[in-house]
Amino acid sequence: MLRPAPRRTHRIGRGRQTAAAYALLAPSLVGVLGFLLAPVVIVLVLSLFDWKLLSTPEFIGLANYRKLFTDSDVWHSLLVTLYYVIICVPGTTILSLLLALLVDRKLRGMKYFRALLVIPWMATPVALGLVWSWIFDPGRGALNQFLGLFGVDGPAWLSSPVLAMPSVAAVHIWQFAGYNMLFFLAGLQNIPPSLREASSLDGASPVAHFFSITLPLLRPTMLFVLITNVIGSFQAFDTIFVMTEGGPGDSTEVTTYLIYDEAFKKFDFGYASTISVLLFAVVLIATISQFVYFERRTTYEVSG
Amino acid sequence: MKLRIFVYAVLVAGCVLAIFPYFLTVLTAFKGPGQLSETMPWEPGVPPSTAAFHRLFASGFGGYLVNTTLVTAGITLGQVVFAVLAAYAFARLSFPGRDALFWVYLSTLMVPPVVTMIPLYLMMQKLGLVDTWAGLMLPTMLGTPYAIFLLRQFFRGIPADLEDAARIDGAGRVRTLVSIVLPLSKPVLVTVTTLAVVANWNSFLWPLIITSSEDKRLLSVGIALFKGEIGVDYNAVMAGSLIALAPLLVLFIVFQRFIVRSVAVTGLK
Repeated sequence: MLRPAPRRTHRIGRGRQTAAAYALLAPSLVGVLGFLLAPVVIVLVLSLFDWKLLSTPEFIGLANYRKLFTDSDVWHSLLVTLYYVIICVPGTTILSLLLALLVDRKLRGMKYFRALLVIPWMATPVALGLVWSWIFDPGRGALNQFLGLFGVDGPAWLSSPVLAMPSVAAVHIWQFAGYNMLFFLAGLQNIPPSLREASSLDGASPVAHFFSITLPLLRPTMLFVLITNVIGSFQAFDTIFVMTEGGPGDSTEVTTYLIYDEAFKKFDFGYASTISVLLFAVVLIATISQFVYFERRTTYEVSG
Repeated sequence: MKLRIFVYAVLVAGCVLAIFPYFLTVLTAFKGPGQLSETMPWEPGVPPSTAAFHRLFASGFGGYLVNTTLVTAGITLGQVVFAVLAAYAFARLSFPGRDALFWVYLSTLMVPPVVTMIPLYLMMQKLGLVDTWAGLMLPTMLGTPYAIFLLRQFFRGIPADLEDAARIDGAGRVRTLVSIVLPLSKPVLVTVTTLAVVANWNSFLWPLIITSSEDKRLLSVGIALFKGEIGVDYNAVMAGSLIALAPLLVLFIVFQRFIVRSVAVTGLK
């Protein structure tokens, strides 16, 4: 093979590589920059405009934000969302960790249990919401019929302002506990078995072993599970849409639902964008503060 | 011994809870309207009735099923192919701006889809793509940062010598990618494809917003609207849910071992 001077090859090679790289990247550049990053910029700009259906957009500065801070619907929706997150995240995390501890054993049939527990994760949320609405149906639904066997007169789960939110959140936990179990299982299987033997030789009880050895070693998995669940449950929409439509009253009207309502029912794109910015900020703060918390704890652990 | 019985008992109870809603869906979907009020929810209708499915298909559900299958296949194909190309560039080629660009890609993982929904809708409106197949598929099929991230990590783990050998033999970039890299990447391709199929099949909010005509309706939107139209015809609603749930369930049963393993991999960053 003929080779020209080395330096030249290098330069031509690099130019070609750059061209090749951007050719390979072209579709994803359109997707990521055009349909993920540009919308973030656009939503920020839109939040400064008054723009309702058929009207011309009009720049109004921070007026939407002033409206936002005094809008009790927005703050109520944010509280409702937080309530949902506060039920879903610890519920899913604790349940999935317990399940992982159970299936992390060399017993016969364990792989079938693992697989069965993961199945709900794949379910179409809309279909799932409908199935659970049927289970929660106050008259003929499976839950109240079952309670009836014990002489208990079950409540109207989804039409009670008090019970609607925990019921909807239970569906989230049901759907994702098995899925998150897989991450904890992978984390548990990364812990060297010698640690277990060492602490049982020291006479530590299984509970003490769990809290002093297992849990700290699961910290990276815990961070991953918490962050993905927090981000996910802040965005809950599908199951709520079919189960309660935000009701009864506004007891399950989460912020995503409010945004959908403002933008695509009332066609107030400007104000809906402002609420989107608020939600984005809240999700970002929640994500970053978890990172910071775990970072600090880990450093403390290492130095201490 | 006692502990083992306890573990099995709890796991059996957990699995029954995980499967019960599916079981109930099948039972309800195959009951006639009379049987629904005569039987307990967990009892089968005797004899089984397919009346609910007839009602569904008479109202256009067959079309929704076809639409959902084609759209899921199309978006998934685009996502996987374009993610493979991008990941290969990030993993193997050196070009100015590579690392900065990769960080930009990763940072978009934090953007909630709800936030981009309004701008995307307005962009599609400007492009004249509201209520079109292109509008439905375009925003998600070109770039999926998470898939690109997973693939890049995997590609970097493949020894570069293998590719160099092929390139000395005169193979081009794309041929090296297809004939050397991809055959070695089956596990991560299964992972990425599974995640994409599940997300695309289940997708609801974007199809709800961007499509309005019935000939472009997807299953998820179809069953959600169906509930509103007919009140509480639980037989038909459960039959519709079954049609939405069953394909992924079958997919899961066939690929069960791959999926359980591959899902766990995605958590290990």
